[in-house]
Amino acid sequence: MKNNLLFTLISVLFGSIFSVSAQDLLDTLDKEYPDIPQYEIATFKTTRISIGQSIENRRKGVLQLMALNRYWNLADSNIQSFVADKASSRFAFEYAITDKLTTGGGWTTIEESYDAYLKYNVLRQRKNTKKSPLSISLFQNISYKGDRLIPDNDIDFNERLAYTSQVLIAHKFTPKFSLQVSPTFIHRSFSLSDSDPNNYFALGFGGRYKIADHVSLVSEYYYVANPITSIDTYGAFSLGVNWDVRFLQLQFQMTNARSMVEDGFILQTPNNFNTNDGNFVFGFNAIFSLHLLKKQL
Amino acid sequence: MNRILILLFLSISFLGYNIKPEQFIARQGQISFFSYTTAENIEAKNNQVLSIIDLSNNEIVISMLMNAFVFKKSLMHEHFNDSYIESDLYPKATFKGKIIDFEPLTATQTKIVKGTLTLRGIAKEVEIKTTITKNNENFLLTGEFEIVVEDFNINIPPIVAPNIAKIISTKFRFEYQLYEK
Repeated sequence: MKNNLLFTLISVLFGSIFSVSAQDLLDTLDKEYPDIPQYEIATFKTTRISIGQSIENRRKGVLQLMALNRYWNLADSNIQSFVADKASSRFAFEYAITDKLTTGGGWTTIEESYDAYLKYNVLRQRKNTKKSPLSISLFQNISYKGDRLIPDNDIDFNERLAYTSQVLIAHKFTPKFSLQVSPTFIHRSFSLSDSDPNNYFALGFGGRYKIADHVSLVSEYYYVANPITSIDTYGAFSLGVNWDVRFLQLQFQMTNARSMVEDGFILQTPNNFNTNDGNFVFGFNAIFSLHLLKKQL
Repeated sequence: MNRILILLFLSISFLGYNIKPEQFIARQGQISFFSYTTAENIEAKNNQVLSIIDLSNNEIVISMLMNAFVFKKSLMHEHFNDSYIESDLYPKATFKGKIIDFEPLTATQTKIVKGTLTLRGIAKEVEIKTTITKNNENFLLTGEFEIVVEDFNINIPPIVAPNIAKIISTKFRFEYQLYEK
């Protein structure tokens, strides 16, 4: 009896001294991880949520070539054009000078406008220690409106400019869901009539929901605090789908915005969002990414 | 009888303290993987792999963060983590196994490491041929093995299937030093 007890005691002692399980080793390894910042990636995946800008910037050396198109029908018209009565396109490029700073420029057929912009990523949402809950980017755009201006045709260069400043603030809630708020200030050197202001305040709301590995649902709405009063304008709204295929990102949207430049679609969207002819605009964007600088592995 | 028992207990506990298991750690292990297809070659490298070898039972564990893999083209990093690996849900890949017939005193040897690789929450039994070199008090482990993409439920859409290989060849290199706790 005593010998048995001794034997079991000895074997238990030996066992406890010599066993180091693999799970303990993995736990030890977990503690050895250095404190390198873990930033959220792919909050929106694309640099435009749908019609407006997102907080995303590409990494250094990436050139994005973009073609944005909108198609709509006119109310009460009998024009039998192929696809749609009216179309508008914007051709733009975006180049990431550094990981945080992107510059871009584009040309739009509607309003014959040219624009150039800078987007700077101030803060990135950070997951681990020293958590930062938000990603913040600053956006500044200058646009030049080339076509006929109401009421006068002879307006010189400076008075055809508009300046858009946005603070883009986003948070990725889950791997599938992100939201963005964009307070906006727009200064227009021209105005449609004397009763319209030159400075406007607006607030943009945007969201992304990932429905499959490469496909996500996006929506945006822009509210203007002091809208143009000389003509009817409505808040720009968009509901769309973004699809990533390697280096080509496709965005399809249903919207009421005909313009693709910030001061145009935020301030001068003439119709509300519904499916009537003249209101409904179908858009698609194709964004192609070229890596001009490749990392050394 | 009681005194003999007490003496026996004491001697056993001293025995335990003398045989201290030696552990070695690699803090900047390198793992790189390659996907070769006729359409495109994809390559990525992770220089922040952690690993520990325990000489008392020849156990080896490896742990790495999936978003530490660096690609030549930066947009691939976003696609890899957001669409393919889904590293928000499965941030780490781990390996738990044993080095079969490990001889800690030999200068160079080639042994099989047998264990479980866990990626995206799916565990797979693997056997990896490893070359182990001993240099002073440090160990160097190198080798290569293959990963079948389908095994880990990684969804590759048909439109990009020609650009991503079904079998990814992986190379590793770990340099171990004595682990001071």
